[in-house]
Amino acid sequence: MKLIITDLEEFNIPVEGEYKLIKPQGDIRHCIGCFGCWIKTPGECVIQDGYEKTGADMGKCTEMILISECCYGSVSPFVKTLQDRSISYIHPDFIMRKGEMHHKRRYTNVITVTAHFYGENITEEEKQTARNIMEANADNYDGCVKEVHFYKSAKELEGIIL
Amino acid sequence: MKIALLNGSPKVQNSASGALLEDLKRYITEKADVVNYSLHRPVISETVLEELQKADAWVFAFPLYVDGIPGHLLSCLRQLEKVALQNPNRHIYGIVNLGFYEGIQAEYALQILRNWCVKTGYVWSGGIGVGGGGSLAMMPSAEQGKGPKAPVDKALAVLSDKILKLETCENAYVSVAFPRFLYKMAAQMGWRQCIKQNGGKKKDLGRKL
Ligand SMILES: Cc1cc2nc3c(=O)[nH]c(=O)nc-3n(C[C@H](O)[C@H](O)[C@H](O)COP(=O)(O)O)c2cc1C
Repeated sequence: MKLIITDLEEFNIPVEGEYKLIKPQGDIRHCIGCFGCWIKTPGECVIQDGYEKTGADMGKCTEMILISECCYGSVSPFVKTLQDRSISYIHPDFIMRKGEMHHKRRYTNVITVTAHFYGENITEEEKQTARNIMEANADNYDGCVKEVHFYKSAKELEGIIL
Repeated sequence: MKIALLNGSPKVQNSASGALLEDLKRYITEKADVVNYSLHRPVISETVLEELQKADAWVFAFPLYVDGIPGHLLSCLRQLEKVALQNPNRHIYGIVNLGFYEGIQAEYALQILRNWCVKTGYVWSGGIGVGGGGSLAMMPSAEQGKGPKAPVDKALAVLSDKILKLETCENAYVSVAFPRFLYKMAAQMGWRQCIKQNGGKKKDLGRKL
């Protein structure tokens, strides 16, 4: 299953195969750093606003596709908040990987990460930061990066197939 | 000179970011006008925005979330970008703490802040990445360069000197002076205690949905 996470309210991009789409539908509350998703309701966020199950959705996907405005080299606040709210995809225990500390897996699926960033004036530095962060995310998910693309506007994305 | 300390943890109490800012404050409080602000939520109030405009330097302290800046704080940065620029010479510093041991994992979060400076026109002036953040809020401040916080304190002292002179510095990455394997063990024991206190069992830590 492809898990598509986007900040686009109007999503008009064709997708091949089975997928789940998470897009803005009502306000999203931000992560409050309580770790309840690890120790109170393991596997899902304690804030019940409709976005609490993304960690579990990640456990069922083979590909995670982020479609986001590029914000200083980061994903946008909406997409980032979803990522923050879904750290229950991984297990709280630490493990060493590539000589650095990371978290153990909770699930066995291996995620390939693809990111499509859009924005009018994305600088070269921002592109590099975005690529770096996607690699770091993939390390933390114990998955890998497939592709990172940049577009001048969200409209341009309508020409691609996911 | 006026320095604004901005706590970007979403936690209202007992954040490592707050502890780091308090430790930094000890070095600057007598030499500058220092004011604390909270960016715990995605929106900054009009009053705080106005106050912030008066400061010569902003020091952001926040936790690393999923290799970057917490979502709510990104919203705040956007808001600050839009209101910008009564003082384009404002200096921006960043203190990022993280749960993992290696401070270097904060590198990309500091890059985001630097990229934000390019967009706002502010002067990116450097920062520090602090590994082992999970233990910071509970530790007493380092006294005379001793204790597990000593390397962190040293980095804060260097940073404070730069802030007071409104100078730019290279990013520095440090970890608490506490062996990595012990930090890892302590965290794992901590999670087991926490889940039990919440009425769960140890094995629930790995529950699959
Ligand atoms: C949603 C979320 C995501 C996190 N992501 C990371 C991460 O990618 N790397 C890391 O080392 N620590 C990560 N942490 C751990 C925090 O950085 C750590 O707990 C920090 O000390 C919290 O600081 P604070 O008390 O100032 O909020 C994460 C914590 C949360 C709640």
